[in-house]
Amino acid sequence: MNTNCQECDAGITLESSTEVNEILVCPDCGVELEVTSLNPPALELAPMEEEDWGE
Amino acid sequence: MTVPKTLLGLLKRYSPSGEEAGAVNFLVEHMGSLGYSQAYVDEVGNAIGIMGNGNRQVVLLGHIDTVPGEIPVRQEDDLLYGRGSVDAKGPLAAFVDAVAEIGEFAGFQFVVIGAVGEENDSIGARQIVDQFQPAAAIIGEPSAWDRVTLGYKGSAWARITRQQFTAHSAGESRSAAEAVVEDWIRIQKWAEEYNRDHERVFEQVSPTLSSMASNGDGFEETASLDISFRLPLSMTPQMLYKELGKLLEASQFEELGYAIPAHLGDKNNPLVRSFLRAIRQQDGQPRFVRKTGTADMNIVGPVWGCPILAYGPGDSSLDHTPNEHISVEEYNKAVRVLGAVLKSL
Repeated sequence: MNTNCQECDAGITLESSTEVNEILVCPDCGVELEVTSLNPPALELAPMEEEDWGE
Repeated sequence: MTVPKTLLGLLKRYSPSGEEAGAVNFLVEHMGSLGYSQAYVDEVGNAIGIMGNGNRQVVLLGHIDTVPGEIPVRQEDDLLYGRGSVDAKGPLAAFVDAVAEIGEFAGFQFVVIGAVGEENDSIGARQIVDQFQPAAAIIGEPSAWDRVTLGYKGSAWARITRQQFTAHSAGESRSAAEAVVEDWIRIQKWAEEYNRDHERVFEQVSPTLSSMASNGDGFEETASLDISFRLPLSMTPQMLYKELGKLLEASQFEELGYAIPAHLGDKNNPLVRSFLRAIRQQDGQPRFVRKTGTADMNIVGPVWGCPILAYGPGDSSLDHTPNEHISVEEYNKAVRVLGAVLKSL
């Protein structure tokens, strides 16, 4: 399954064991991507990681 | 808008740390009436509800105590006011309601815990950490219905004390009070240096001077500082205490309370994926967050070693404030997200 990075358009091949909502790292630009669909294969930028107070 | 009974029942029973019994008894009785297989109070006063007897155990660990400061319970349109509405009776009640809606689910056992003492010394979490061995764990803390909390900083406390013969103020000798102030300045500089290459607060050492005292009897004088530290993953409490030993000259220090290392959960596991999917199903755009405070996740996470995150409705900027309130609509969304997650694990 082939698709592209949403950030740099690098070609990415999804392994057969890939799951929906799995998070991958683009081998070219290093951005985190979330697998949003397997058929057809689709990637989105992974959720942003914020920081705030709380306990 | 109808107020959720579980949440309202908890809010009506004011339960600052050490005074949780009324809220705990209500919750145990309430979980029994909702069809939980078991509901009981454990040895230290935690409320525990168990649904089902499957092999895969999922623990939903909330806390039932609050900080002090009673806020009259009232509803204004969609907003429900009351101490703990956000931190953390909202998330705990959402756990209870989500599990009740699912009921028994083949292959799973859901354990909902309303832990006592989280705002104090976490006695409740320390009690249960060796009692359960979950395949996945969700900690009940507010982060908004569409955010998933991945980790918390650690914390540690120290008391620095300088004791010396009294010096004449006209002389050149420093007083004990001056000496501990210089200790504090040295600690601040050390932290600034450590943090220079760490842009995010989650990665920084954050010391706070919480109290200071001095006294003397004419022969000897003593000065002391109590300092709290928020710690990153890269610094355990043991590493911090070792640094303090090097930084302090003639002053002594002692460890106060329970030190807790930082904990950060993995974000590439079936639990996190289920949350991302469930939030999107409710038309949300999921986000991750790291918290600069400390929670019961820090205690159970390293022991359980399973997929773990914190989740719960509510705006955490309202934690510990006199204006604490929660949106009922947001609460209901969180219950739906939790239900979808538990059914898809």
